[in-house]
Amino acid sequence: MLIARSAVYCLTIFAAQALLGPIAAAAHHSFAMFDQTKSLTLTGAVTAFEWTNPHAYIEIDVPDGKGKMQHWSVELGSPSILMQSGWKFNDLKKGDKVTVRINPLRSGEQGGLLLDATLPDGRVLGNGPGRGAPSPAK
Amino acid sequence: MTSKVEGHMHRLAWWGLALFIGCTMLQAQSTNPPDLSGVWGPYRGGRGGDPKLAPPPASPIVLKPEYAKKYEARRAAEQESANRGEPLATASSQCLPYGVPSMMSVASYPIEIIQTPKQVTIIAEAFSEVRRIYLDKPQLKIGEVAPGYYGRSVGRWEGDTLVVDTIGIKESVQYQRMPHSDQMRITERIRLVAPDILHDQITIEDPVVLEKPLTYTLAYRRLQNYEMVEFVCDNNREYVDENGVVRLRVRSQ
Repeated sequence: MLIARSAVYCLTIFAAQALLGPIAAAAHHSFAMFDQTKSLTLTGAVTAFEWTNPHAYIEIDVPDGKGKMQHWSVELGSPSILMQSGWKFNDLKKGDKVTVRINPLRSGEQGGLLLDATLPDGRVLGNGPGRGAPSPAK
Repeated sequence: MTSKVEGHMHRLAWWGLALFIGCTMLQAQSTNPPDLSGVWGPYRGGRGGDPKLAPPPASPIVLKPEYAKKYEARRAAEQESANRGEPLATASSQCLPYGVPSMMSVASYPIEIIQTPKQVTIIAEAFSEVRRIYLDKPQLKIGEVAPGYYGRSVGRWEGDTLVVDTIGIKESVQYQRMPHSDQMRITERIRLVAPDILHDQITIEDPVVLEKPLTYTLAYRRLQNYEMVEFVCDNNREYVDENGVVRLRVRSQ
């Protein structure tokens, strides 16, 4: 009886590991608080570009179409991760017009996870390479 | 001196020099380890790559029955919470460091290896974590090391492989959320499998918690001219609510 039970537990661990894949690289956190089935596009003026750890943030004021401004907080990867997909610390500054595509927060608050951003000069930058070998910064 | 004697002396001198050079080269081959210094980014093999360079699959984590039950229950709770969009907090979501061995494989962040004859120092770009491997000191006994994020690591060269032994990782510092006891011992075999590809084969043993040791291999590719980016966690806008769920602090303006 004991053997059968421990076999079940051992098998469960085997299965869990198989599902995880060969190596699960540690990640800062899961992105479960964002709705990854939805994407929202916002165009507005940058009020702050926080080039910080563990995440960079774009703060934007978005006109709501009724004469008022909505403020949104957009979460990006860390500076190192962003640099791996072409971002630089000074790519955005206060007052810049930017269009961001985001997965919105499930909570309904005005925040989301960046999918990509269209900068004033027309460049479209994503949110880090995710998995895969990083390219050098220089 | 006659020219005949001079001739002999010249020949002797040349033979002496040749022997000296030969001995020095032999000596160098057997005592000079490879230099692992540099910055290394994660390498996952892939299309067109030599399969011998990609990391081999990991062995499964097999816990003893009493630990397996709790581990499975916690994983199920975390999965269920994540599915509801309310991820449970982990140590790193609060900007606590990963420690050993997890710091060696964090997303796509590189590590920096600084090698000297007496110490190998590894700096992980994520969270700026630092571990030191002493090459000129013996390991202490388990129980003599104050439990911490990095434990105490000693290493020795076996030919071209750096063999590292680490003890003293505290219980809250977990690999893949796996429970462990103070008897956990981590052995690493670090070596170049190609001039610019490094493998770190990591074996975790824990006679109290594990049914059998688990082994996994991390592969890295040498980065040229990469300047490590600093990582100070000074803008953590995530917080843990009263239910242990991670939430994001949005700004009102």
